[in-house]
Amino acid sequence: MSPNIDNPAFLLQLLVGGLTNGALYALVALAVVLVYKTTSHINLAQGEMATLGAFVVFALTQQGVQVWIAIAIALVVSFVFGAGVERGLIRPLEKRGIFPVVLATLALFLIINAVIAIIWGTQPVPAPEPFPREIEDKIDVLVGPPPFFITYVALGILAVLVLLLVGLWLLLEKTKLGLGYRAVAANREAAEVMGIPVGRMFMFGWGIAGALGTLAAALVAETAGTLDFNSMASILIFGLAAATLGGFDSVPGAAVGGLALGLIMAFVPGLFTFIEGDLSLVIALIVVLVVLLVRPQGLFGTKTLERV
Amino acid sequence: MAEPLLELSGVHAAYGDAEVLRGIDLVVGEGEVVVLLGANGAGKTTTLRSICGMVGTRGSIRLGGTELVGRPTEWIIRRGIAHVPQGRGVFGVLNVEENLRVGAWGRKDTKAIEADIERWYGVFPRLGERRGQLAGGMSGGEQQMLAIARGLMARPKLLLLDEPSLGLAQIITRGLFAQLEDINREESVSMLIVEQNAELALSFASRGYVIESGSIVLSGTADEVRGNDEMRRAYLGY
Repeated sequence: MSPNIDNPAFLLQLLVGGLTNGALYALVALAVVLVYKTTSHINLAQGEMATLGAFVVFALTQQGVQVWIAIAIALVVSFVFGAGVERGLIRPLEKRGIFPVVLATLALFLIINAVIAIIWGTQPVPAPEPFPREIEDKIDVLVGPPPFFITYVALGILAVLVLLLVGLWLLLEKTKLGLGYRAVAANREAAEVMGIPVGRMFMFGWGIAGALGTLAAALVAETAGTLDFNSMASILIFGLAAATLGGFDSVPGAAVGGLALGLIMAFVPGLFTFIEGDLSLVIALIVVLVVLLVRPQGLFGTKTLERV
Repeated sequence: MAEPLLELSGVHAAYGDAEVLRGIDLVVGEGEVVVLLGANGAGKTTTLRSICGMVGTRGSIRLGGTELVGRPTEWIIRRGIAHVPQGRGVFGVLNVEENLRVGAWGRKDTKAIEADIERWYGVFPRLGERRGQLAGGMSGGEQQMLAIARGLMARPKLLLLDEPSLGLAQIITRGLFAQLEDINREESVSMLIVEQNAELALSFASRGYVIESGSIVLSGTADEVRGNDEMRRAYLGY
């Protein structure tokens, strides 16, 4: 047990740290879920596409573009790229079954990874800085010791997640496009006979997922301080774990799953000091294992019915 | 018979190598109600699916003179066909009103859509009472009404109904067919109905076809079909 277990400042610091990391997992999980809901595919290249998007932000800021404008451009580019991958790569393969699609996303993973390394090298580059991250860029809540403070980066990431969730909710629940997307997710064939352009809804989901991934990667790089061609490798695993926990077909589930996973991964090594922080991957995998054993559909997912 | 609205000639359809329709000829006139009868697996559902472009089809299917074969489903639906699938196919995780709005997907006339939603609530009061409720939680009869109202939200010229009575109690089925009759008369929506309940369907339809192993084996007015001895033995059971 940690000697700080009854120290409120220490616990609060774990809470904020856990929520901040959890918000990043939630963003990745949302991307995974938006792809899965309509097309029932898991895009293994989601993380690499996101890294590529973050490098687009980096390249633009290198050219002197203001960082938020660079992010906005990269989001549009990743939306188009994500939608294009669905139309150009996934859909032609889909008729041939699930394995060609899995292999295609795996191939895409390797190709994008290599392309990033060829263009920008394998050495880390300084991450773009949407939120100020100097040592003094924080709000001191408790002076301590131990102190409790909230960095601007943590505040920014949490604000981004909240704004995104509100935006996604409005988009999916209040627009005609969102209604079409949900109808396709609910029953693809029935949606088709309603005259909904099903293919365009697939592209929409993949596009939004691409944009969300890029936003996640830019923020992951910001918290790490640097960006490299493997930045999202482990984050994708945490995102998948978060989606499993929340339920693969649930948008609120992805958010809750991400935050919950972040908290678990902060508090378990924080309180039980014999568990090293390096074991975070193992903790995530244990969470996945427990969910799959106890509640395979996740916290908010729908139970799948095998239809004959 | 009135001007033909829908005209199938020599329609073949197959799932992979399995040929299900072997040269179907069938006509639905403007404002007419036609029933398609047949045993399980005879090709009734496939006929409706090939009209909607949902199965590989050869031959000719014309709607108001326009050829539909080879066109994508989305395009065909926009030409004025609404399909109420077998087993209802409502969107269980959407609420009643959202289901109706999906039905109006191809329309841009927002005000008229709102008016139509209220109109179908008037025809099917149960739907109005449950407008905010998820469709998946409703009874079979309510889901069937929703599926029909959703189809009508498209303001179709032609309504394709696949086994509307499936899984419904007799009394609910009778009420449903009475409402379909009203809709046909008042909206002059043409209907092609696939039905197991042959007697009920023939009492409402003006003409009928009987399909067997992918071919039309009998066609005529409702009375002619009803009066056919073979037909009676096979489907009406008396």
